[in-house]
Amino acid sequence: MAEALIIRNISKRFGGLRAVQDLDFSVGEGETVALIGPNGAGKTTSFNLITGFHRPDSGSVLAFGRELVGLRPHDVCTHGLARTFQVARPFGRMTVLANVMTGAFLRSRKPEIARERARETIDFVGLSAKEHTAARDLTTIDQRRLEMARALATNPRLLLLDEVMAGLNPAEIDQAVALIGKLSKSGLTIVIVEHVMRAIMAVARHIVVLDHGQKIAEGTPKDVVANQDVIRAYLGTGYAHVATPGDGAC
Amino acid sequence: MRLRRGTLWLGGLIVIVLALPLIVTSHFAIDIFIRVLLFAFIGVAWNLMGGYAKQLSLGHAAYFGLGAYTSTILLIRFDVSPWIGMLAGGIVATLASLPIGALCFRLRGPYFAISTIATAQVLMLLFLKFRDFAWGAEGTTMPNLGNAPLMMQFDAKSAYYYIALGMLALGLVITYAIERSWMGYYLVAVGEDEDAAEAIGVNAMRIKRQIYMISAFLTGMAGTFYVQYIYFIDPQTAFSFNISVEAALVSIVGGIGTLWGPVVGTVLLEATSALLQSWFGSSHGGVQLTVYSLILITVILWRPSGLLGVFTDAYERVVHAGRAHAREPTLDG
Repeated sequence: MAEALIIRNISKRFGGLRAVQDLDFSVGEGETVALIGPNGAGKTTSFNLITGFHRPDSGSVLAFGRELVGLRPHDVCTHGLARTFQVARPFGRMTVLANVMTGAFLRSRKPEIARERARETIDFVGLSAKEHTAARDLTTIDQRRLEMARALATNPRLLLLDEVMAGLNPAEIDQAVALIGKLSKSGLTIVIVEHVMRAIMAVARHIVVLDHGQKIAEGTPKDVVANQDVIRAYLGTGYAHVATPGDGAC
Repeated sequence: MRLRRGTLWLGGLIVIVLALPLIVTSHFAIDIFIRVLLFAFIGVAWNLMGGYAKQLSLGHAAYFGLGAYTSTILLIRFDVSPWIGMLAGGIVATLASLPIGALCFRLRGPYFAISTIATAQVLMLLFLKFRDFAWGAEGTTMPNLGNAPLMMQFDAKSAYYYIALGMLALGLVITYAIERSWMGYYLVAVGEDEDAAEAIGVNAMRIKRQIYMISAFLTGMAGTFYVQYIYFIDPQTAFSFNISVEAALVSIVGGIGTLWGPVVGTVLLEATSALLQSWFGSSHGGVQLTVYSLILITVILWRPSGLLGVFTDAYERVVHAGRAHAREPTLDG
């Protein structure tokens, strides 16, 4: 399998804090990889390092054979990496359609083409009924859907989802899991940061576990939940006794 | 149906503004109309950047002054027609916006606003010092060439009215075209959340720079027109802080980030200011400014998203019997 994303030894310090230290992992094309770990482990910072919002102090980020370190966020997006934010950041003063069109304009400056592309992705995430609703009036899950649609409208090859399920109820989590499954089936490579273990077990084929900015484990979901270091640092000892994990473990 | 009604309204408006100087011939009234058109135009130019992209500039006097000085220097030193001077003034303003933007766009929010104030002030100080080729603090008057249309000088005041009207129309057409294109979406996106816009491929720095150039160009044109109209230029007039404030104020009062907001805002503010001036100006000097300020505060507290909404809501209520909603304008696909 070709590698979509290769992270090599990236590190980032904020003053005295080592936010990310010598992190490396890779993501195969079409694969869904989850990044998990306790709060402050460096998951979101890793996303920021990959997508150009922060520049790593050292290391390299290769996406589809191209070095991304040093590029600005919009360039990273042009190269086919789209992301969502931990706290959804819709353009409140725009309707759902206008939000998603803004993403679609990256690939075509023509409003008609962008509108068409936007409608497709809005339909894909299941927001068609709210096309003309102002983004600031959406519920949490709809705002997350909107963020995904907006990111998808840029025609990415790799999608980075930062805690898209935070704040959702169990039924909504099921919907989100189904949506990610659908995206993955369409051939998209996905990197997901998530706390909801149930969702991770359902969507990820490979998990990378971070703690204090370092990778402490990596492997299939089954290996990871059985790993003693992971249980101690993140999952909690409750996990040591369950064979198949139940609901969220935070 | 909706479109036809809109066209009808616009058509009626155009007929009225075209006929206005023929019906109202009082010099005082036409002078107010010209001020309204000019400041509406400056407001429109400011609004492209301050309204759509929410980059609150309080230094547009910099471009106004550069436009004014460029055409005046060309006219007096090189006998170049102010019509060409207007274009040259726009270009000089555009070029000046590049280094100013490069410096100021590093800052966001209130810090950006403060840095723009500084640029206009610095330019004013520079022109105060340029005694040799820009007449320093005492300024200069335009040479009176009588009725010389090719040199942008007219006997009839109405001619200035039509020039200002033409400029405003140009500004509105440009705004309309930008609003409907990808640029409009990108500007609003950057104004809403710069990082989120970057994440979906918007080069925020570039779009801000581009809109700043357009905005500066139009403001420079306004500067040329103004000094041609009042036949006088000095640094205090050309780089007046009032111009920067007025440009922002008319948009904020009218409706920030909307096509017609600056126009509505200017009409209301200028009308209020002129009426107060004629009521209180002679009897109780200074009172008109106090009343003006109180009205301004009330309006902004009552309708922070601008007065345009009051009219569109009323229109909806009367024409469509629909429910009005007082809220910020929303960009739809």
